[in-house]
Amino acid sequence: MKFPDLIRNHFCVWQGLTRLVFTSVILFSCSGNTMKSPGNPETAQKPIVSHAKRFKIEKIEGYSQVSVLNPWQGARDIAQDWYLIRAGEKLPSFIDTLKVIRVPVKKIVCMSTTHLAMLSALGEAGSVAGFSGTRFIYNDTLLQRVNKGEIREVGYEDNLNKELILKLDPDLVMVYGIGSESTGYIGKLKEMGIRVLYNADYLEHDPLGKAEWIKLMGALCCKEKMADSIFSKIEKEYNKLKSYVSVNTRIRPKVLLGLPFRDTWYISPGNSYISRLIGDAGGEYLWKDTESSFSMPVGLENVFVKALTADYWLNTGSANSRSEIVSIDERLSQLECFKKGNLFNNNRRTGKDGGNDYWEGGSLNPHIILRDIASILHPDIFEGNELIYYRQLN
Amino acid sequence: MSSIKQQSQVTQLSANKSGAIFGGLTILLILLFILDLFLGSVTIRPGEIIRAIFNNSDETTRTILTQFRLPKAITALLVGIALSISGLQMQTLFRNPMAGPYVLGLSSGASLGVAFVILGFSSDLSPESIRGFGNWAIAAASWAGAGLVMLFIMIISSRIKNIMTVLILGIMLSSAISAIVSIMQYFSNETMLKAYIIWTMGSLGNLTASQLNVMIVSVAAGVILSLISVKMLNALLLGENYARSIGLDVKRSRFLIIAGTSILTGTITAFCGPIGFIGIAVPHLARIILRTSDHKILIPGTILAGALVMLLSDIISQMPGSDNTLPVNSVTALIGIPVVIWVILHDQRHRDIF
Repeated sequence: MKFPDLIRNHFCVWQGLTRLVFTSVILFSCSGNTMKSPGNPETAQKPIVSHAKRFKIEKIEGYSQVSVLNPWQGARDIAQDWYLIRAGEKLPSFIDTLKVIRVPVKKIVCMSTTHLAMLSALGEAGSVAGFSGTRFIYNDTLLQRVNKGEIREVGYEDNLNKELILKLDPDLVMVYGIGSESTGYIGKLKEMGIRVLYNADYLEHDPLGKAEWIKLMGALCCKEKMADSIFSKIEKEYNKLKSYVSVNTRIRPKVLLGLPFRDTWYISPGNSYISRLIGDAGGEYLWKDTESSFSMPVGLENVFVKALTADYWLNTGSANSRSEIVSIDERLSQLECFKKGNLFNNNRRTGKDGGNDYWEGGSLNPHIILRDIASILHPDIFEGNELIYYRQLN
Repeated sequence: MSSIKQQSQVTQLSANKSGAIFGGLTILLILLFILDLFLGSVTIRPGEIIRAIFNNSDETTRTILTQFRLPKAITALLVGIALSISGLQMQTLFRNPMAGPYVLGLSSGASLGVAFVILGFSSDLSPESIRGFGNWAIAAASWAGAGLVMLFIMIISSRIKNIMTVLILGIMLSSAISAIVSIMQYFSNETMLKAYIIWTMGSLGNLTASQLNVMIVSVAAGVILSLISVKMLNALLLGENYARSIGLDVKRSRFLIIAGTSILTGTITAFCGPIGFIGIAVPHLARIILRTSDHKILIPGTILAGALVMLLSDIISQMPGSDNTLPVNSVTALIGIPVVIWVILHDQRHRDIF
């Protein structure tokens, strides 16, 4: 915990020796020796995870401990602990073997495209053996692997192909939690002796916190340094943009989000990921003061009145043109932002089956999404900027 | 005819009394209609609304009143009328107090059509080009689905003597269709699934003016058909054999009644989704209030009661004073279920009226 980077060095030093059998006492004493050598005194005090709220990594002699906190919506005071221990190294006696993940993980089954994006960024796309919803993948390299049969489709939720997963024999199945472990397929997978790691990146409200989950992937693949440097680049870029916007703008345009389902509009709450992005991009989300862990169903009439003041309308969901919005509800065409044509959707990078890179690669590119939104809201200070994830509705 | 009167003489109200009831219901209906305009998820002062009615208030209030609340209140009115009459007709046709507008599988037919439009995108079944039509595509698909089921039921009912067989086939058909819809739901992505589920919850609030016109015409046609069938319904109440013995063309009557119900229910489901319980509960409510089984009185009574209950449901579903709204289907069910329970508990007494 105190000397995370030293332990990481220790891992590297001992990498070649892992086949040799050491007692844990010897291991600890060795790492104790390396601790004294002048390593990285600065980073030693900093926690490994700084923005993400849903996981922690602690470096302890000989292994790292990962805690995934409240991994599903509505979970309270739940911490799932894992011990990441190098393959071949002896387990400390007090550790429950069911909670051990041998690293580096060589074969993994993922359930969310965000997991894929992070593994790809670490150059570990090759370890993905199975995925749920392969046709919604955007990344070309991964799609090719799907076509070659190197990444197998494992099905959805309760329709999960458990036999296939068993046959793939992955080191780890990474899931995102809709409900607790006892619900649905997760309990069944565990019963089959498969290690199921919850990834709660989708619950992070802070865009940087979401991207920071790459550190967990780094720990799993023994590429901590690489993950750290990827993340600090993102962090630096994001904060630079954020302060550039706040210094150079005075007005904060009002932003409407989403699309109604019939006469109900599901409103992202003010503490959501997207609300944060809009705020950092120098905009004012119309519902920025609300707080909820779910999207809130709001009557169309109510949204309409509030939306009359909106300057921009983002993330228009399934609507790809202004005429589609009219066909969904004619009344929406009376909104000022509609008349001005200030409508943008986050689906510029969409695959032919609807896989949207905004959710895939975008999870690791909050700085690019931020630049997109900031340049939409403040075109004057982003002259000549080309949108990456967003596009204007025609 | 005379035996109907004899049968229900015990509980029949005098003409004066039922006149008073009709008057009371009408006044209540007007009040609720106005209340529905005044209450909504946006709080507007009553004075402001009155000014908006007389065309001198700010743009926003006027927009809300004319484009949101008025169409929604009219929709509620039409939905209440259409589904209640359909339910009444089905209960009489099948001589079954638990029958309703959806008993013949119309809603499953409609939901299959809608599932093709909404869920079809993710299962590659429907062409991308439908997407641009939005609401109209959903309405048309729903109509087509309900129409196909109706056609099937019509063909069956013209060949089969016993009406109960038609009922059983209707139930079988709707179960089969539901199974198909389940398979489509199973394979669709979350957004589509959500859009579909929300359709099944029913909504009154997103009809455009042109859609409202279509609905007004269809409901009017359905109501006229039901008024034409008053005599047939009264005769059928005593059983098909009796109806035949007094010279009624039973198959033709069935055809007319089923056609009327299909037009009413099909249209409502197309634009508002399947709205439950109103169709089952309101006819009973009307019978309880009016103490009669004569359709000459029951049909207007059901029209009034249906419109009333639906307006009330709409007001509740908007949860005035709160940002959130409730799905209207849940509200109608919560109002409808107590009525149905009451019917079951009072079955003995109720039999007399039914």
